[in-house]
Amino acid sequence: MGEFFRRIQYLLNRRRLDRELENDMEFHREMAAREGRNNFGNTLRMREQAREAWGWTWLDRLGQDLRYTARTLARSPGFTVTAVLVLAIGIGVNVAAFSLFNMVALQPLPVRDPNSLVRLERRSPQDYTSEMPYLSAIFYRDHAKSLSAVMAVLGVPPTREDSPTAPPVAVISYALWQHRFAGDPSILGRTIRLNKKPATIIGITPYAFASLGGQRPDIWLPIAQQPYFIGGSNVLNDPSNSSVRMWGRLAPGVTKQMAAGELLTLTNELRHQHPKDIWDNEFIDIHPGGHLQVMQAEMYQVAALIAMLTLLILAVACANLGGLLLARAVTREREIGIRVAVGAGRFRIFRQLCTESLVLASLGALTGMALSYVVLRVALVRFDSPGWLSPVPDWRVILFAMGMAVIAAIFFGFAPALHIARQRQRKTIVRQILIGLQIAASCVLLIVSSLLVRATQHVLFTNPGFAYQQLVSIDPQLGRYGYTPASAQAYLSQMQDRLRALPEVKSVALVKLPPLGHSVSRMDTEIAGRPVAIYPNWVEPGFFQTMSIPILLGRTFYPGEKRVVIVSESLARKQWPGQNPIGQLLGDGPNQDTVIGVAGDARVNAMSDDDAVEQYWPAQLDDMPDMVLMLRATGEPSGLPPMAKSISERLDPRLFPEIRQMKLLYRDNVQQQVEQIAATVSMIGLIAILVAAVGILGLVSFSVSQRMKEIAIRMALGAKKFDVLTAVLRQFLWPVAIGMIAGAGVAAAASKVLRRILFGVSNLDPASYAAALVVLVAIIALAGLLPARRALRLDLAKTLHNE
Amino acid sequence: MLITHTINTPKPVTPSGALVLLILRVLQSSSLHGYAIAQRIHILSNEVLAVEEGLLYPTLQKMLVKGWVTAEWGISETNRKVRCYCITPDGRRHLETELSDYDRVTQGIQEVLRTA
Repeated sequence: MGEFFRRIQYLLNRRRLDRELENDMEFHREMAAREGRNNFGNTLRMREQAREAWGWTWLDRLGQDLRYTARTLARSPGFTVTAVLVLAIGIGVNVAAFSLFNMVALQPLPVRDPNSLVRLERRSPQDYTSEMPYLSAIFYRDHAKSLSAVMAVLGVPPTREDSPTAPPVAVISYALWQHRFAGDPSILGRTIRLNKKPATIIGITPYAFASLGGQRPDIWLPIAQQPYFIGGSNVLNDPSNSSVRMWGRLAPGVTKQMAAGELLTLTNELRHQHPKDIWDNEFIDIHPGGHLQVMQAEMYQVAALIAMLTLLILAVACANLGGLLLARAVTREREIGIRVAVGAGRFRIFRQLCTESLVLASLGALTGMALSYVVLRVALVRFDSPGWLSPVPDWRVILFAMGMAVIAAIFFGFAPALHIARQRQRKTIVRQILIGLQIAASCVLLIVSSLLVRATQHVLFTNPGFAYQQLVSIDPQLGRYGYTPASAQAYLSQMQDRLRALPEVKSVALVKLPPLGHSVSRMDTEIAGRPVAIYPNWVEPGFFQTMSIPILLGRTFYPGEKRVVIVSESLARKQWPGQNPIGQLLGDGPNQDTVIGVAGDARVNAMSDDDAVEQYWPAQLDDMPDMVLMLRATGEPSGLPPMAKSISERLDPRLFPEIRQMKLLYRDNVQQQVEQIAATVSMIGLIAILVAAVGILGLVSFSVSQRMKEIAIRMALGAKKFDVLTAVLRQFLWPVAIGMIAGAGVAAAASKVLRRILFGVSNLDPASYAAALVVLVAIIALAGLLPARRALRLDLAKTLHNE
Repeated sequence: MLITHTINTPKPVTPSGALVLLILRVLQSSSLHGYAIAQRIHILSNEVLAVEEGLLYPTLQKMLVKGWVTAEWGISETNRKVRCYCITPDGRRHLETELSDYDRVTQGIQEVLRTA
């Protein structure tokens, strides 16, 4: 310990101690000279050796390297600025992506003890749901000792201890207060009407309010008063109605495992009370809940995909800069030669070059962080994010940026440094490999963005297997209002009759899971060893006609039919290749259903996934409270919602059905989303190709300036312009060609994961590949020819004279 | 270099380790400046050992950092301001352990030379 402090002292008082050491040695010499002994050692070197005992020599050398680097970089500001910008883009894109991930999944919510917040969900080896019955949530709340708090949330967290008999109250969000009530300061105590029921506003959430699971509702109501606002609701006392979300806080000192153990015993107790409503082997799945987003496995996949794309940009930037460094090394040949001649070892030169790379990378990372901050700030404002989210880099982001800088420095600096230290900078092979790498990486990015652009076009101009433009969905949410299957059936058939009577309505049908609805069901199975996602649905016979989904084989259901199933074309092809699917049995054990028909592929519940397959069952009486009406208009559907609303009003005034036009829904949910994704990825791709183009531009113009004399002599001897151009550009031909082929190959292999979001465009879509490659070739040709043209405009006499 | 042609330095005691030992030993009685340390060792070894400044000063710096000696300003016999080195309690402890180690090793070697 003492030694460490002494070392620090020696560092701090270096100058004085060095002078004292010098004095010691001078005195030594004086004395030795008196006695007639002359010592001809190198004093400077001896002093350096003595100083080494202090253990700070590495710092001195680092200081020397840094000073030298600063001088070198300052002397060529053009290169420095280019290099820092290229790196800032490469690192900045990654930092921005990571900051976003950090904000969503890593940063704790700004609440007390966010780490103890947990999201609790029902899961069993076969089943999963994000919601659970209110009664179960209450049971867990009352009995679990490992949780210090349990919140049951129907859409949103509760505001305070609530009771069904208390006067109805509401808390509104800051945004609603500002926009709807113009920030009225006397809002508290005012009565508003929700579902025509009066409620008193008792509070406003703060502007930077952090809510659980990233939900941002405008109105918060006590959960116990849900039946008051939704007349006839039995959500709170039906043990089979899974519709509340459960959150909890782990009690102090309790781990996730301990809580899971206790909850499992409670689940088993619940099974005793409600044997029907608890699954086999059910357990409560505990996820950390103290972040903006509770991450699921699939979200990590998306994150990994984005990380891959942004890392490709960094790869382009690094390869680019590596090329620039190598090119610069040729002009630095003299300088490095001199340094070697005066005694610098290879290692010393290598270290100096690495220092240069690290300095460049650090500058790039700093600029990149600034860039990322600006972009995220703009994005957060544009996308109306929660007020407490801040794009200011925290320690995780700073650490990440530092890591990125080091990785970048290794990638762009290491190989050139090795090359230069061995004084082999004139070899072109490394430069060619770097060009190939850049081209390959830009190629992948361009192909991916081109695929996504195609997907956008596809979404805009084709149907997802059903004609949605004239559809209107009406979701009366009968289950929520306490309808029994029988009363629901009666209501729905009356509703259907009255709607059919309208001349504007062409046909009406019932479906349990409508397109773009609030819930989706998915069964993941394997057919012939390949994973298949089957989207099940429960429909009424007229569904296929209303949706304009063709029945390709067999027939639709008869009314009241049971134990039969209609499968989509793709499912039939996968399950029974080359056989007639009609009459086959589907399912396992005693619950097998007979296939009676094959319908056209229609991505009702998975619009973006071309690999999805569908399976339809006839809706049974028990399904009636969950059914949704689908209308097909004869003409323009925009007039239908008000009519449907008044019909529903007359039938049961308690209900507030959700009436939605598919056309508008589709535009808002699907088109905008896919357009945004395509725009973002295209921008990333464009940045990559521009960076690569700048790199090629620089390399070609460099190689032209290196070969000025040769070119001038050739031209003086009568070489044709074309020959001169070929001579200059030939060395780039192979790397570009190989890079493009490799890039296309990688894109073809990697884009398989994209299939789910390509809306039916094949991941090997030739048009997309061709478009991407044409753009790439055009940009590269431009980047190559622009500087090469300089070779043709040489002033021969002057050039030759100069040399 | 320390000329050590008369001392057959046993393995565990490195040349510079031996120099540390010698320096600590001559500082045990009084504090001395660098040149005096070299002189003292030279004289005490019957002019067999010559300590050169190229090794003396790095070793002294190391000992300063280790905390075995400290340096104070003093006046030389030629009336010049110079740093004098004196041994610290830590240095004394180090000297003791090193000496006993050294004794053990030389004894061991002698034993082998005598009996083998």
